[in-house]
Amino acid sequence: MGPIRKLDERIQECIRIRGFEELSEIQNRAIPLVAAGRNLVLIAPTGTGKTESAMIPVFDRMLKERSGGFTTLYITPLRSLNRDMLQRLSWWCGELGISVGVRHGDTKNAERRKQALSPPELLITTPETLQALFMGKVLRKHLKNIRYVVIDEIHELAGSKRGAQLSVALERLVTYSGEFQRIGLSATVGNPDEMGRFLCGKRDFSVVAVPVTKRLHITVEFAGDSFERQAKWVSDVIDRSGSTLIFVNTRVTAEALGHQLYARGDVEVHHGSLSRDVRIDAEERFKAGALKGLICTSSMELGIDIGHIEHVIQFGSPREVSRLVQRIGRAGHQLHAISRGTILALGFDDLLESLVIARRARAGEVEDVIPHRNPADVLANQVAGLAVEYGKISKEAIMAILDRTYTFTGYGTLLDEVCNQMAEHRLIRLEGNIIGTTLRARRYLAGNLSMIHDEKKVLVFDMVSRRTVGTLDESFVVGSIHTGAVFITKGQLWRVLDMDDGRITVEPARRVKGELPSWEGEQIPVPYGVAREAGALRRNRRFAAYHTEPAAREFAMGFLTGMDKNRSRIATDRMIVLEDAEEGVVCNICGGHKANEALGRVISVLLSARFGTTVGIEIDAYRVLLSLPNTIRASDVREILSGLEPEHIEGILQLAMKRTALFKWKLVQIAKKFGAIDPDADYERMSSYKLTELFENTVVQKEAYRELFSVYMDVGAASRVLELVKQGDCGMELSRLSILGAEGLFSSRDQIPPPTADQAVISTLKRRIDQQEIVLACMNCRKWKSHTIAGRVQEHPICPKCGARLVAVLKPYEEPLYAIASKKGKTSDEKAVEARLMRNANIVLSGGKNAVLALAAKGVGPENASRILSTLMEGDAFYKEILKAERNYIRTRRFW
Amino acid sequence: MILEFLSQGPALLIRSEKKVLAVADLHLGIESELDKHGLHFRSRTRERRERIESCIRETSPDILILLGDLKHGVPFTSRQEHREIPEFIDQLRSLVPLRLVPGNHDVGIEKFFDPDELLAKEGAVIDGAGYVHGHMYPDVSLAGKLIIAGHHHPMVCLRDEVGCALRSPAYLFAPLNEECLGFPITDGTQKGSRVIFMPAFNELTGYDLLRTVEEPFSPLSRCMRAGEAEVLLPDGTFLGPLKSLEGYGSDQEA
Repeated sequence: MGPIRKLDERIQECIRIRGFEELSEIQNRAIPLVAAGRNLVLIAPTGTGKTESAMIPVFDRMLKERSGGFTTLYITPLRSLNRDMLQRLSWWCGELGISVGVRHGDTKNAERRKQALSPPELLITTPETLQALFMGKVLRKHLKNIRYVVIDEIHELAGSKRGAQLSVALERLVTYSGEFQRIGLSATVGNPDEMGRFLCGKRDFSVVAVPVTKRLHITVEFAGDSFERQAKWVSDVIDRSGSTLIFVNTRVTAEALGHQLYARGDVEVHHGSLSRDVRIDAEERFKAGALKGLICTSSMELGIDIGHIEHVIQFGSPREVSRLVQRIGRAGHQLHAISRGTILALGFDDLLESLVIARRARAGEVEDVIPHRNPADVLANQVAGLAVEYGKISKEAIMAILDRTYTFTGYGTLLDEVCNQMAEHRLIRLEGNIIGTTLRARRYLAGNLSMIHDEKKVLVFDMVSRRTVGTLDESFVVGSIHTGAVFITKGQLWRVLDMDDGRITVEPARRVKGELPSWEGEQIPVPYGVAREAGALRRNRRFAAYHTEPAAREFAMGFLTGMDKNRSRIATDRMIVLEDAEEGVVCNICGGHKANEALGRVISVLLSARFGTTVGIEIDAYRVLLSLPNTIRASDVREILSGLEPEHIEGILQLAMKRTALFKWKLVQIAKKFGAIDPDADYERMSSYKLTELFENTVVQKEAYRELFSVYMDVGAASRVLELVKQGDCGMELSRLSILGAEGLFSSRDQIPPPTADQAVISTLKRRIDQQEIVLACMNCRKWKSHTIAGRVQEHPICPKCGARLVAVLKPYEEPLYAIASKKGKTSDEKAVEARLMRNANIVLSGGKNAVLALAAKGVGPENASRILSTLMEGDAFYKEILKAERNYIRTRRFW
Repeated sequence: MILEFLSQGPALLIRSEKKVLAVADLHLGIESELDKHGLHFRSRTRERRERIESCIRETSPDILILLGDLKHGVPFTSRQEHREIPEFIDQLRSLVPLRLVPGNHDVGIEKFFDPDELLAKEGAVIDGAGYVHGHMYPDVSLAGKLIIAGHHHPMVCLRDEVGCALRSPAYLFAPLNEECLGFPITDGTQKGSRVIFMPAFNELTGYDLLRTVEEPFSPLSRCMRAGEAEVLLPDGTFLGPLKSLEGYGSDQEA
C-alpha cells in the first residue's frame, strides 16, 4: 500500500470505499511516477486498472492546486469510450468535488454552452473535438490552465493520421498552457518507446509495461469448413462457457453468423453499421446477462465495459497478434484472472495462420505500431486550423509547433509546398511568410476536423426493375465508375446510366467482355512475419510444436498429403509456386498482404508493359492472382520475377500506381484534406482520370505515394522476398492449378492498365483487322472467290479450285473488280485493274498472312502493303506501320 | 482538302486554298463553375492559350476558327471570364485573324469580339468546309459539305479483355442523313453532307461518344448515319468504324 499513503486523504478514503484491498501491479508501479510529474506510457491489458493508475495521482495533484478552466483532458478514440469513462470517472469526481464533463460530436448545444461559461476541471473528449476547441474564442481561453493530458488507447491513434493530427494538437495546446504532464495508456505493442516519443516528442518519459501474454490461455480449433458446422460449434461453446464474446473480421460475417444463431434467442450482433440505439441495447442486455453471446467486429476491441466475459471466440484467423491479444484480453476482466479464448480456424490458410498467431501471442511477439512521419495532408489540415485560430500566423510560428512533435521531423520544404498548394486552392492566403485565413478555411475546418475518411456508401438503383440492388463503396465509385461504365455487383453486369446525389442509376448490361472490379474494401492485413512463419509450417509440418488440437492437425496434414499425392508443389517460405489457371496465373507467395500487394502490382505492370494488356490483380497473404488473357502463362510471370531487381520495385510502383483506382481514391481523399475538393463535391463534374492529371507532381501526389508505400504495401518486405529468390534461398516453380492455389480465386479487385496509349490502340487495331471482312479471290484460275474475315485466313491462302497460291485480298467494296479480271477483251482501264489485282495477289504470295492483314487495313492498297512488308517489322512494330499508313491515308483522302 | 490532326490541341488544320485552324469547346471559366460544385482549382486559361499558340506556330494558319463554347458560364458571364477572356482573345488576335461560331455557352460573348469576327450560330462555309458549333440545325449553305462541329466533346473508351485500357478524346466522323437535316438531297455523283465532331479543347471535359450515339442530343448527332461512322484519335490514328467498338449497339441487343 506504499504509494497510496502519500495521496490526499480524500483519495485514500475513495480507494477504501471502492474496496481496493491492494493495488494492481501496474498501479503500484505507475502511481509514484505520475505523482512525481513524469510523462508516462502505461502498457497493460484492458481491465487491469490502467485508467485509475493514471487518474488517481492526477486527481491527487488536481486537489492540491485548484484553478479555473479545463485542468485535465482525457482523450479517447471513441465516443462510446467517452460515455464509459464519464460513468467511471464521475464517481471519483463526485466524491472528490471535481467537476467533470464530456464533449464530443454528440454533445448537446446546451451542454456546450454550459462548458463555455463554466468549464469542467476534467474534460473527457476525442481528438477531433480537441481540434474544435481551438476554433472557439471563449473555449480557447479556458485552455490556458491545462496541466494534465491523458490519452487512452494510444496504440489505436499512434499509427493513424488521426494520431498525427493529435500530436500537432498537443503542441498547439502548449502554446496556450505551457508544458503539461502527458500520460498515454496503451495495449501491448512491440515498440513502447516509440509510443513514448509519439506522445512526448523530445521530452523525457518513462514506460511502465505489464506483460499481457502470460495471462492468456489460447487454443486453436477446427470444426470443418462448412459454415453450418462452424456456427454449430460456436453455439456449443456458448452453451458450455456462458457469457461469450464472438469476434468476427467483417460485418458480413457478423450478419451471417447472427442469422445462424438468432434462433437461440440469447445472441445478438454488434457492429459499426448498426444504429447506436441497437448497439447500446445489445451492450446493456449482455451486461445484464440476458444475452449469452455477442457477435462483434473490432467495435468491441477497445475497453467498452460490457460486464463479465467468460470466454472469447475469434471466428477465423485474427490476422495480427496484437488484435488477438486485445480481443482475448476482453475475457476474464478481473485483476489476475486468466483470459481464455479460442480461435476457430475456418480453412487451411486460416488454420496455419491462427496457429502461428497463437504461438506468437503466447511468446509475447506483438507487432509494432508505426506512426506516420511527415504526412502532408495532416500538415495542410493543421495549417488551415492555425490560420483560422490566429487569423494570421507566420511560417516560423508553425514550425515552432511542428518542431516539438515526433510526427514532423526533418520535413525540409514540406511546409512551403503544403502552403503553396493550399494557396492555389484558395484555402489560405499567402503573403510572404504570413499565412492568412479565408472565409472558406472556416467552412473547410467545420467539415474536416477529423482525419478519418468516412467511406460513403452509394446506392445502386436499377432503372429497369426500379429497385435498389445494393451499395458500392465511395472509393470504388471514385476510382472505377463513370457514366457508361460497366461493373459487376450481385453477380450481375450493370451499366451506369446516371450518377447524382449519392445514387447510381444502372441498367442490366450484356455482351461486355471487359469486367470492372468489385472492391471488397480495406481489410486487416496479415503481417509479413506471420505469413512467412505459416509458410515455414507448411514446409516443416511441426504442428505439435504449435499445440495443435487433434482435429485441426488431422485436417492440416490431410490437406498437405493431398497436395503431395497430386504431386502439386507446395508454396512455402522457401518456395514460390506459379500456377496456370483459367482466369490467369496464381502466384503462391507466402509474403503477407502488404508484400504481396507490392509484388503483385509490380508483376502486373511489367506484364502489362510487355504484353500490352490490362492485368487484373487480386491478392491475399499467400497468393497473387493475376487475371490475364490466356496467351500469357506462368512461365512469363517466372521470367519477369527472376529478372526483377529489388531496388527497382519502388520506381516501378510509382508508375504502376498512378493509373489505379486505389491511387485515384487516395488522391481524392488527400485533395479533400488540402481543401481542393469539398467533402460533398460533385465528382461527376470531372472524371477522376482528369483529376489525377491536375495533381501531377504536386505535394498531394507525393503524399498519396507516401501513404500507399508505407501503409498499403510493404516495399521493404517485397524486396526481401526477391532477395531470397536471387540468393537461391527461395525456389520458384511452375505447376498446374492446385487446391491450394485455387483457394484464393475470387472476383478481381484492381487493374493495371497498359502504360502507354499505343498498346491499347494496337490491341484495338489487331482486333479490328482480325474482324475485317475481306474477299479472297484466285488470280490463277479466276474462278474462285470467298468471303471471310482476315483473322481466319491461314498463313498462305490457297485456291481450293486450282491449288494455286496466287490469291488476291479484296475489301468487300472492291469485289466487283474481280469480275473485270476474268472478263475477256479488256479496255485499258480494265487492264490496269487486272494489273493491280495481280500485284495484290503477288504480295500475298510472298508476304503470306502479314500481307493479308496489311491489305485488310483501311485505305491500304498493294503499294502501301508492299511498303509495310518491306520494313520487315514483326509484332507490334508491324501494326504500328499499318497505323502509320492508315493515318496517312486519312489525312489526304479525297472525300473529307 | 487535307486534314492535319494536331494532337497537342486537339486541333484540326483544314487545308484547301487556305489553311484553317479549328479548335472547339474551350469552356474558359470552367474553374469557377467547378468551384461552385466543391472542386477548387486554379484557372488553367493560360495553359490553354499556350496550347493554341503552339498549334499556330506549328501550322502558320491563315485563320483561326473557334468552334463555339469559348466560355463556360451560362447564362451569365462570370468574374473569371470577364477577367480572362479579353486578354486571351487579344493575344491570339495578335497572331492570326479570328472567327467565332457562337455556341450555346457563348451568351454575351459579343462584347469581347469585333462584329466581323462573329459568324452565324447556324454556321458558315469557309474555303469549302462548313463550320458550326453543333447545337442547332446548320444553315442550308452547309449542305453537301464536310461540316466541322464541336459541342459533343467526344471521348472514347477502349476496352481489352480485362477492362477499360484507354480513355482518350476522339474525333467522330459520319455521313449525314440530309433529309433529316432539311438539306437538299445530293445525288450519288457528289460526296454528300458529312460531319466530323471535334474533341473538346478543354482538357477537363469529355463525353463517351457511344452515349452520344445511343442518346443523340443535337440535330447533327440525331441525323448522322451512325452505322457508317468512324472514330479517330487526336493524332489522326484510325481507331476503326464505330460499330467495331466494344459496347456499341449493346442497347439494341438488350
